[in-house]
Amino acid sequence: MKLNNKILLSNTILTLVVFALTSIGIYYLINSTVYGELDNHLLQHKIDLINQIDEDASSLQDIKELGILGSYEWIEIETYDGTVAPNENDFATIDTMRNPNKEIEEKSYRRLTTAINVKDTYYTIRLYEEVASWEHISRTILLSVLAGLLIWILLLYILNQFVLDKVLAPFYETVSTLEHISNPSDLNETFPDTTTYEINVLNRALNSMMHQIRSSFEDQKQFIQNASHELLTPLSIIRQKAEKILTNADSLDKQTIKAAGNIQDTAVRLSRLSNALLLISRIENQQYSLDEDIEITNITENVIDELSDFIEIKQLTLKKEFNCPINIKGNSELIRAAIYNIVQNAIKYTPTGTSITLQTKCHGEHSSFSVLDEGPGIPNEFLDSVFDRFQKTQNHTDGFDDDSPGLGLSIVQSISRLHNFRCSAQNHPDKGAEVLIHF
Amino acid sequence: MRALIVEDEPLLIEDLEECLLEEQFNVDSAQRLRKASDLVAAEEYDLILLDLGLPDGDGLDLLKTIKKDHKETAVIIITARGETEDKVKGLELGSDDYLAKPFPIAELRARIHAVMRRKYDISNNQIVAGPVKLNVDHMKVLVDDEPLDVTETEYKMMRYLMLNKNKTITRIALAEHIWGSKIDDRFSLDFINSHMKNIRKKLNAAGVENLIKTVYGVGYKLTTYETE
Repeated sequence: MKLNNKILLSNTILTLVVFALTSIGIYYLINSTVYGELDNHLLQHKIDLINQIDEDASSLQDIKELGILGSYEWIEIETYDGTVAPNENDFATIDTMRNPNKEIEEKSYRRLTTAINVKDTYYTIRLYEEVASWEHISRTILLSVLAGLLIWILLLYILNQFVLDKVLAPFYETVSTLEHISNPSDLNETFPDTTTYEINVLNRALNSMMHQIRSSFEDQKQFIQNASHELLTPLSIIRQKAEKILTNADSLDKQTIKAAGNIQDTAVRLSRLSNALLLISRIENQQYSLDEDIEITNITENVIDELSDFIEIKQLTLKKEFNCPINIKGNSELIRAAIYNIVQNAIKYTPTGTSITLQTKCHGEHSSFSVLDEGPGIPNEFLDSVFDRFQKTQNHTDGFDDDSPGLGLSIVQSISRLHNFRCSAQNHPDKGAEVLIHF
Repeated sequence: MRALIVEDEPLLIEDLEECLLEEQFNVDSAQRLRKASDLVAAEEYDLILLDLGLPDGDGLDLLKTIKKDHKETAVIIITARGETEDKVKGLELGSDDYLAKPFPIAELRARIHAVMRRKYDISNNQIVAGPVKLNVDHMKVLVDDEPLDVTETEYKMMRYLMLNKNKTITRIALAEHIWGSKIDDRFSLDFINSHMKNIRKKLNAAGVENLIKTVYGVGYKLTTYETE
């Protein structure tokens, strides 16, 4: 759940709870006000009655017979029955009453029971007043107050949403920038200063952290590049010296020749490794321009031409399924190197006498280039990591003692990344591995 | 044999590359001094065609490095600068020849042959090893004056071994001189073996035996005891 929604939701829930409590409070407040008013009213009637009887005692009988005091008020006068002490006032709310016409009314009434003394005779007097009319008023008040509150909550919700969005905007900007960072070289974004203290603290911390990561990443890439370059010269000197020893092979014993040969081989291999690393770091340091127009099938034909020697000797059949031309913008030297590596890999792993399928496919905007061999395939545990540096399979194909470091496919990946292409590898169910570049 | 073209004009690179491929060279090219110096540091070239005016530096600096670390490499300077001073400077620094742009490709070809002749001390564009004669200016191998049918790769292998007569050539060096450094060596060495088998078969059929010896675990050596 997003932060602003969470704040908004908790805010709303809290307001609703407060609203409910307020409603209950208001209900009791209004009720007690209404009953207080009713009781005052009944007491007033009692006082009026006592005053009237004081003037004329005989009117008691008339009042008793009439039974009605006003439009919603009734009176019952009985001889004293001891329900209340003399001069006590007892208030109660009842829901059924027998009115003077002996009809039963199911309405809420407020009853005042009291006892008065008329000429030394005690009478129990019950005064009734209908609550309904008062309740109506109280309900109206309650409802209008509650409706007002509800509208207020609704408005608050909408306003809150708006204000929260505004207030949290810089925070969300930071979050969405972070979400889009996938690679340390993307860390060149800087988070702006805002008017919110906490977000400022966050942004500044992020800025300084990203700066550190970026610069150490740059340093690392630069170091690999420099180290690879610096290694090349001494390596080629070692190689030359070994070659010089081999030149005068006649005067040497077998062991020395073999040792010198090994030195040369190793030096050559090391300088290739350095070269591959240098190429990868040059690509990652973005030292190539990507503005050439390239046609993939042309380059592929070219690569096949260069590798024809190997295809011939391994008696491989090439199946070309170039369904469509793929025109892209990029660096032809790098694209060529990528295709070269993929095709070379296929030739290396496919057994003698089998075939290699080169394919281009286009589906609207999406186009891909793939090379499929008939080799043993890529072990499943390596499928995800074949493009990583120095990742190689332990699977030896017949005739090839493959212990060269696996930089070929990682070069392919670096080149694809630079061009914003995607590369993937998959095994075919029957046999062989397929390496694809998606443009 | 391997050649490097250092030149910033892609169209000229194409022409030069074509010419060198016809001469059975394995060709790398660099449009920038930076890349050229990477390549020179890592690889062993027999010939470098060097343009002095590069966008990111002076080719003369590269020439100094080449002559310091790779004395064997032949360098032909190609440049638009026709000034005598540059020419003298380049030659003083050890370049083997100098060509001013524009030049016909035929002239470049002739200069390459001349430089290679000087480098490997061969006369008549022909290397001789016993009964075998190999033309360096075009793909032709003669055994006792009878032409021997060889493939391009076989020609390249034989040429390299004959140019380095009586020297042990490691298989990896041989592979590199034919296919360049891009090829995976564990992979190409097997191919060297099968090509060598074919060459020996052809030489044996033509009556030449034991010309190329295997130095066990190292590589090959082409021996000739004749003195001319």
